[in-house]
Parts: sequence; structure tokens; C-alpha cells
Amino acid sequence: MKRALPFILLLAGTAAMYLLMPYNLAFATRILVMGIFVLSIDLVLGFAGIATLGQAAMYGAGAYAAALFAAHAWAEPVAGLAVGAAAGAVVALLSGLVLMRASGLTLIMLTIAVAALLAETANRARDLTGGADGLRVAFGPVLGLWEFDFIGQTGFCYAAAVGACVLGLLALVARSPFGLSLRGLQSSPARMAAIGAPVYPRRVAAYTLGGAIAGIAGALSAQVAGLVSLETFSFTLSAEALVMLILGGTGRLWGALLGTVLFMFAHHYAAAADPFNWLFAIGALVMVVVFVLPGGLLSLPGALKGGRHD
Amino acid sequence: MSRKPLAALAAVTLGLAAGQATADEIRVGVVAPFSGPFALYGTQFRQAIEAWQATHGTRAGDHEISFVYKDSGGVNPDLARSLSQELVIRDRVDVLAGYVFTPNALSVAQLATQSETPVVIFNAATSAINAESPFFLRTSYTLPQVSAPLADWAYAQGIRSVVTTVADYGPGIDAETAFSEAFTARGGAVTDTIRMPLSTTDFAPFLQSVRATGPEAVFVFLPGGPPTFAYAKAYAENGLKEAGITFLGTAETEESNLQALGDGALGLHTAYHYSAAHDSDANRAFLAAVEGLGDDAAPVNWASVGAWDGADLIYRMVEAAGADGRAAIEAALGAEWESPRGPVRMDPESRTLVQNVYIREVTRNPQTGLLENAETGIIATVGDLGWKD
Repeated sequence: MKRALPFILLLAGTAAMYLLMPYNLAFATRILVMGIFVLSIDLVLGFAGIATLGQAAMYGAGAYAAALFAAHAWAEPVAGLAVGAAAGAVVALLSGLVLMRASGLTLIMLTIAVAALLAETANRARDLTGGADGLRVAFGPVLGLWEFDFIGQTGFCYAAAVGACVLGLLALVARSPFGLSLRGLQSSPARMAAIGAPVYPRRVAAYTLGGAIAGIAGALSAQVAGLVSLETFSFTLSAEALVMLILGGTGRLWGALLGTVLFMFAHHYAAAADPFNWLFAIGALVMVVVFVLPGGLLSLPGALKGGRHD
Repeated sequence: MSRKPLAALAAVTLGLAAGQATADEIRVGVVAPFSGPFALYGTQFRQAIEAWQATHGTRAGDHEISFVYKDSGGVNPDLARSLSQELVIRDRVDVLAGYVFTPNALSVAQLATQSETPVVIFNAATSAINAESPFFLRTSYTLPQVSAPLADWAYAQGIRSVVTTVADYGPGIDAETAFSEAFTARGGAVTDTIRMPLSTTDFAPFLQSVRATGPEAVFVFLPGGPPTFAYAKAYAENGLKEAGITFLGTAETEESNLQALGDGALGLHTAYHYSAAHDSDANRAFLAAVEGLGDDAAPVNWASVGAWDGADLIYRMVEAAGADGRAAIEAALGAEWESPRGPVRMDPESRTLVQNVYIREVTRNPQTGLLENAETGIIATVGDLGWKD
């Protein structure tokens, strides 16, 4: 029962968003998409300890792949998600084969470089991607049944369903032997190697899985917005998602979701209240959380009980 | 069309909760960057709108008009779309406006069509945008609209060989294409096409190679801001002016950067649709209205005039059609008025303004001692030359 509690809370939260913000489903949908993206970083960074600031490479690859697939092959969104996931996984696998041999600052720099290379490639391939103008694509109805409407009901329900699948998958991965070995890698790669765990293949596998999930998030954002731009590869996106993860607490799936919701709401309401100076509020929020709760919001109950930080 | 009943249903069910506008209040949602490196656009939009409301009141016909602002940051189509969606559905705006970047404008095409909300684009300058929704109207300009007349003018001045130097991104390449096509169609020769990285501010190598090629003129297109400034400086320092290579630009000498360029900018030629130094009563009234806002008034340039004319157009639409989106578009098409930039007309086909393109030269105003873009003639009165149906 205790295991299921967070899932029930999450379901209730999603339903509440739908019912309480019926006029604001576009925003609620962005939270869901961002949540999936932050989960992918949580898997890579929080679980496997792979420091990355270039997760947007896979997000953008997924977005462009889904859009191009819809434009030239089949406009059905769920098939597009699969294509997006495959594109994210392929980019992560190919770059991961090189990147996972590096660590620390080198690794961070290389992840940023991969995203920048892809952004420039998409910029150059104007005939295919529309370059800086972006690529506008009309997606068909989800599973041939539900058309995307401008109020955003279809988009929201679709994103919620995809989010639930991704979360369920990651919850399984986190408790599997594979997930546990990733945690081991994060704590001490040397000891993992000593007990015979294949460090490098595991890291590549984790990076690839994270890439597939980021690709799903990217594809979803393309489908909901009907447009892909070069910004899907941007450093800002990777960095903002990382801030969300740190706010919530790394290494836990709930932390990723909590951080995303908190950041997006703070951003939305601060920007609505004062569109000119809202960045102050975000800066203050991040500083308070990082100073007072270095383990993120999820460490709040522990900190209140007196001490356990992780 | 099938979405209309859904929209009506949503309006009824959500109206109470969402603080609905009074019956004859028309709301306009402005989506633009109000934070980050492009915040100046947002400031200029807001000030132009405030200046318009200060001089023309808040009523158009029987309707009260109010503006709501949303910060889209930089290029961010996801955010621009969700903010626009929120404006239409929750804030119940009847008109959307603003949009600085092409992807941001493109992202609301479907929303505009489905909800039948007119969108008045104050800036985004790629021709292709307006083809995406019949509810798009544009009060700025498009790149071919100013680049092609500049090529014609250069040819008429006896210039026969040009090197083009543009920033290597979408709008830069559009400008290069429009200029080259117009110039070679006349019989001129584009001897070299140089594309420069978008983020560079060191233009000396490019300009030295231009100088070595020895054309009669150099065409340039760069995004506003530090690159423009660095380019104009490098043009002066590398002796291109002394070598007799004429500078042919568009927005490079725009007003928010102009004073910082200093004497190096004197004599630079640009073709553009608006100069703050435009000699007309409408422009003087516009400048006085913006200055009337007080000390923090931002420099007035094409972005301000796009928002001012946008407000003008919105007032016309609301007066004629109230909250009816389709009728509002009908009312806007073919509308003519005297803008601070000169006479303008909303082209019914491309839904972009038909306007004068002026050739200007940077001079120092003897009275104020400030640099300005002195207009030395009208070289074309054209609509969107890049429009393809």
C-alpha cells in the first residue's frame, strides 16, 4: 500500500490539474512534457551518475525525427513517439560510445558539444528542417481517434498517458538489478568494476535508455506544439531541466517530478504577475532551496525529522 | 469550423471562473520578450502601445480596449504557443499581437485558425509566416521587401559588382537570396557570397577578403545588436570606405544602436521602411507620444513603429467588427492610413503592409548633434516581394 501511495497522489495531482486548470491545459501539458524530460536526466545523472548538460541533444533529435516522420511518412502521433524514442536512443548510443569513456568536466563539455553539433547540423539542413524558421507539421489524430484541439484537452490527456507509461517503466527500471547496478556505478565505479560489473556497457546502456526517454519528451513537445525549432537543442533547455532536477532532488523519480512542477509553476506565476522582472523570483527560489535543502525538496521530510541527508 | 461549438462551450463553462471581460471590453494579448537579451523589443512594444493609448484613448467605436502582456523570452515556440493558448482560452482575448521571432509566430498558426483569433505580428519578418493562417496580419516588413529594392537602387547608382556578406542563418540567407536575385536580374554581378557565423563579432577577416576582391559595393545583413555594431566598426577600420566600396545595408544602422557607432557610421547607406528621422507630422506626433511617457522611454526604431501601427490596425478592426475575428480580418484587409513611416496599406493578399522603402544615409543632425538615418528618397513602394501563395 505504501508503495502505491505516490502513484495515487500523482494520479490525483494530474486529475486535479485537468479539473482546476481547464483554461490552462497548454501550460499543464508543458509541465508533463518537461517532467518526462527531467525524468530522463534523472535516470542518466541521478541514477547512473553520468554528468550531462547536453540532454537536449536527444530531446531535439526526438522532436525533429517525429516531425519529419509525420511530414513525410505517417502523421499518427503514437508512431511518431516510437520514431522519436528511436532517434533519441540512436543519438545517445552513438555519442555514448565515445562519451561514456570520459568523466567529470570532460564529459560535461562533450555532452554540450554533441548538442551544439546537432543544433548546427539542423540549422544547415534548411531544406529538411526549416533552419531558424522552425519546422511546422500538422499531426493527425492520436490513434486515429482524438484530434488535437486548440483548448488542449487531447494534448493534455495524451501527454499524461505517455508520462504515466514512462514513469511506470522507470519505476520498474529503478527496482531492477540493472537499476541497482546503476546506483552502484554512481557511488563507486571502481568497486563496481572490482565485483565484476561491466562499467562501460552499463553506462552506455543507461545513457541510451535516457536518450530514448528524452526523445519521447521531444517528440511529444513537437506533437503538442505542432512545431519544432532549433531551440530544442539549446543549452538553456538542458540547463533549466537540470535546475528542476536539483530543486526536486536527484536520484529519485519523485524528485524529478516535484522539481519540474515547482519550477514550472514558479516560472509561470512569477512571469504572469510581473512579465518584466520575474527572473528575480526564480533566482531567489533556486538559491533558497540549494542553500537550505542541498538534497532537494524531497529531503525536506528527512531534514525536518533531524538530519538524514542524501 | 467544427471547433467553434467547442470554443463556445468552453467560453460558457469557463467564463465565470476566468474573470471574463465585460460585454464590450475587447482584450488584446501581447506575446513578446520582456526578459533576457531581447527584452528591448518588449519594452518598445509596450511603450508604443501605451503611447498610442495615451494619445488615442482606450475606446474604439463602442468598445473599450485593454492590453495584456506575456513574456515569451527568446526563441521559444512551445512557450509562445502555450501563452497564446492561455490568453485565448483563459484571458478571453479577442486579438493576439506581438511575436518577434519567426518560430514563435509560426507556433500560433493552428491556434489562430481554429479559434478564429486575428494575430497582428509586430515584428517577425519571414515571408512564409502569413501563408500558415488566414488570421495572420503583419505590421512590420519582410526581408525581400527591403533587400530587393536596395539591389535595384545600387544598380541605378552605377554599381555593377557586389559582394554579399550575411549572417549564416535563415533570415541572413533570405536576404542574400533576395538581393542576389534582384541584382543579377538587372545585369549586375555578385562576385562573392560570404556567410559569416551568427555569433561572431570579429569581422576583420571577412572584410579584408571583401577588400581584396575589390567590388564596388558590399551588401550586409546581420541580426541587430553587437554584431551590427562590430561590423560597421570593422568596415570603417579596414578602409573599405577609402577603397570606394559602398556599404549597402538594411537594419544595421537602426536607432537603438546608432549613437554607439560614432563617426565611423557616417555615410553608410541603408534601405529600410522606417527612420526615426522621417519628416512627417505623423512621425513627429509618434515621437512626441513616446517621449511623453517619461525618462525611461526606449529609443524609437522599427520595432516601436510596428507596435504603434499594430495598435492602429487593432483599433480599426475592433471599431469595425468588435470581437468577431473573421469580420475583423475583413475590415483590416485593404485598410490604408498614414503611419509614422509614411503611407501604408494592408495588402489583402499577403496580409503584410505595402509601404515605402527609403534609401537613407547616416548623417549628424546639426541641431541635436546626434547621428540619424537621413532619408534621401523613396526607392520603391512595395508589398511583400517574397510572398508565394
